[in-house]
Amino acid sequence: MSDIKDATLTPEVRRLHKGMDEVWGNPTGLRALTVVNHTTVGLRFMVTGAIFFLIGGLLAMLIRTQLAFPDNDFMSHEIYNQVFTMHGTVMMFLFAIPILEGLAIYMIPKMIGARDLVCPRLTAFGYYCYLFGGIILASSLILEIAPASGWFMYTPLSSGEYSPGPGSDFWLLGITFVEISALSAGVELVVSILRTRTQGMALHKMPLFAWYILAMALMIVVGFPPLILGSILLELERAAGMPFFEVAGGGDPVLWAHLFWLFGHPEVYIIFLPGAGIVSTLIPVFAGRPIVGYGWVVAAIIIMGFVSFGLWVHHMFTLGIPQLALAFFSAASMLVAIPTGIQIFVWLSTLWLGRPRMTLPMLWIVGFLIIFVLGGLTGVMLALVPFNWQVHDTHFVVAHMHYVLVGGMLFPLMAGLYYWLPQVSGRMPSERLGKWSFWLIFLGFNVTFLVMHWTGLLGMRRRVFTYDTAMGWDIYNLISSVGGFMMSAGVALLILDIVLHFRFGKKAPQNPWGADTLEWAMPKPPTAYNFVSLPAVETRHPLWEKPELSRTIYEGEHGLNTIDHGRRETWGSDALTGKLRETVHLPSNSWWPLFSSLALAAVCVSLLVRVYWVAAVAVVVGVVLLLRWSWENGAHPGKAPEASMAPTEPPLHYHTMNGPGVWCMSVSHLANGSLYLSLLFGWFYLWVVAPEWQMPETSPLSMPLLVAAGAALTLGTLLLAKVVRRLRRREGSGLGLMMHLAGGLGTLQTLLIVAVMWLAGLAPTETAHDATLFVALCYVLILAGLGAVLCILQGLRVGYGYVSVEAPLEPVVVLRLWYYSLVVYWSLFVAIWVLPTVLGGGA
Amino acid sequence: MRRLLKLTHPIHLVSGLTIWGIWFVAIYAGLSVACSVAPPEPESDMFTGINLGVGVATLVTTALLLWLTWASVVAARRAEVRRECYFAYTSAGVFLFSAGGTLFVGYPIVFLPPCL
Repeated sequence: MSDIKDATLTPEVRRLHKGMDEVWGNPTGLRALTVVNHTTVGLRFMVTGAIFFLIGGLLAMLIRTQLAFPDNDFMSHEIYNQVFTMHGTVMMFLFAIPILEGLAIYMIPKMIGARDLVCPRLTAFGYYCYLFGGIILASSLILEIAPASGWFMYTPLSSGEYSPGPGSDFWLLGITFVEISALSAGVELVVSILRTRTQGMALHKMPLFAWYILAMALMIVVGFPPLILGSILLELERAAGMPFFEVAGGGDPVLWAHLFWLFGHPEVYIIFLPGAGIVSTLIPVFAGRPIVGYGWVVAAIIIMGFVSFGLWVHHMFTLGIPQLALAFFSAASMLVAIPTGIQIFVWLSTLWLGRPRMTLPMLWIVGFLIIFVLGGLTGVMLALVPFNWQVHDTHFVVAHMHYVLVGGMLFPLMAGLYYWLPQVSGRMPSERLGKWSFWLIFLGFNVTFLVMHWTGLLGMRRRVFTYDTAMGWDIYNLISSVGGFMMSAGVALLILDIVLHFRFGKKAPQNPWGADTLEWAMPKPPTAYNFVSLPAVETRHPLWEKPELSRTIYEGEHGLNTIDHGRRETWGSDALTGKLRETVHLPSNSWWPLFSSLALAAVCVSLLVRVYWVAAVAVVVGVVLLLRWSWENGAHPGKAPEASMAPTEPPLHYHTMNGPGVWCMSVSHLANGSLYLSLLFGWFYLWVVAPEWQMPETSPLSMPLLVAAGAALTLGTLLLAKVVRRLRRREGSGLGLMMHLAGGLGTLQTLLIVAVMWLAGLAPTETAHDATLFVALCYVLILAGLGAVLCILQGLRVGYGYVSVEAPLEPVVVLRLWYYSLVVYWSLFVAIWVLPTVLGGGA
Repeated sequence: MRRLLKLTHPIHLVSGLTIWGIWFVAIYAGLSVACSVAPPEPESDMFTGINLGVGVATLVTTALLLWLTWASVVAARRAEVRRECYFAYTSAGVFLFSAGGTLFVGYPIVFLPPCL
């Protein structure tokens, strides 16, 4: 009696299901574009990612066709450059990360017993940014003006002088657009995992997959901003002539390499961690026992997340960095083998101590273990500086990279695909077609890339578009190309299997693999609201210990089992203990995410074609749309039709002062802080290292105006802090006036910064010093302007009654922004005015 | 705030690696600035003030992390709630890794000159 089909549905429970369907259901037709539900948006992410995978795969086959024979003229070198650049770019930015984010978006609420992610409209916004950014980037291929400087876009090759066409601009603008999507998903995944787990699911009881995604999401939040900054700076150099990476202007091309790899190396682990999360989820299920060493795995995830940020220079071993510094990064690179090794031994121990079943998903896991361990071993070899120098930029590195990325991400993803397919479709995949597909991909992969190690050791450079037969690389390249096509046949078979299974697959039982996690406790295909009632979970293996949960949840026996109010609700719980704190009221379907992302797409396209007045108009439209979207929040009647709660239920989140919005703002500032620290790094790096850096004898910035702007910011922050303290004491008199006053101080700060910039007479197109100052001042200007606008809007919302003693959350959220601005402003003041003044222009 | 200082709090799952990270950035940035501003004579080999400074920073950081490892184990043994015991033991493991990582990454100062 543990199955949903055994559930007893009283008329009351039927009404509950019907009500849930009405409140949570997805509209059809054109209004399907307004859907914000995590299940639908997660699937959209994954399907779009799969399409980009096929595009990237097609590009890979073009590369292998070109390299199959010596002196081949299948492609010109110009086209070949575009093809290999776009292969890497599409696979890394448009396939690997988005499809894993899609999986996390789809799966996390189901695993932690929630009904949706904490910011559903942000999920939809992220998807549209990804879709439009991907289309913009991919369109460059069709137009034959794709980027051609390699997927890491090294300067000066990607700069205006050596890449004068729009290819690099497509990359810089398109990728930045796509990264908005990654950051949105990162922020809300972190907050959802920490604050919306079901009742009783303490941090140390949550599924390991959630730990992996928590680490991945935090790494996205911290790791992506350096590349966003680098892309902005390089685009400013290309479009406006600001010489950040140009030696003659006081810049340094190596700064790009630092910014790129500050993102690029963690990126590898951002891709690997969810893959490892799938492995850590599946192995216990198919071994029929809990994982050995849950705590060890958690420690390994955290270590990996941190150490991966200390390895970026190992991509730059040949750039002329002192040997001692290289040794630091070489040692740090070897360290990462420890957390990886911990996980591998945990997986092997679990299999050893359990009774493994060799199912189709397990076949892919075994493939993962073999390929990833091999890739890890060549990774340790590459961490050794002398060996790295020998094989740098050869096919050996290409082979290693594919072993860790395909082994570490694609194979676990395929395992997860076959494992969760019945959860999505309610049908089982074909074992026979699945095995054929596995063996073709596994053998094809090894034929392609194992041989490629030898090609690299024989000296074949990556990115050469052809080679002379005298080099002796013919047979190796031909074998690799045959393997590549074998792999493609496997992918074709896999697609066929998935398509056919929707029609011919056997009906899946409730819990086909005997899994322990909550996603198997819901109907198949899943309902838009996941669970009609939310259970208390105090174990790591809810379905092993309480198999009847599927039925009791469906019968509405657990929490939040009313829908008469018409709200979309999920629990808000304590990050540590899982105790209930509030009821999170989630927003419903909306056009705002689509319209806002369309405005940003318009900014992107108009910057590409360099029609700047259109870009400026689109920016204004985008900001207005985003602010209008934010207006429908909290106690706004459009969002909260009826705000009463049963006395036994926790309060609605906007009636508290620590709702998820506060957490979202704090996590967003991790990303914001990472961007700012990257900017500071750039400033100090150029100051210390760039050979032609020109620091003037006296700062061009007016100290009195800078101090006055800082004083306005400080006063505004103190005033806002006072507002929040008074709200905590439930004192609401003069609330609107004080918010307007804070908004006024923010406006004053904004104007003063504009005056500083105006009076400084900077020449940002002539020196990297002035260009960096210009960007830094623009950054604090945006923060100041945003702080001011939000405070003024808060003042208006007080007037409408959306913010009050009863709904005090929003001022707390805005205060976080002001605190952040305060820290940034004064630290920047020290960096760009105090230190240059104290150390002098000659420093 | 006082709650955060207890070694049974999950914040210490990341505090050891944060210390490691700060140390790592400090020695890399310090080395780069020192080599740019006041590079030692190449003949000094590894017997330079820079190596000494990095070495002292490495030993102090390692000692701090080892002490935190020991303190976390003590806190885990004293913990009355299972959750706290779990976090303290896991943190102890991460502290120990961070200590080992600090020593391992800093060790090349023994045989390499700083700025060549």
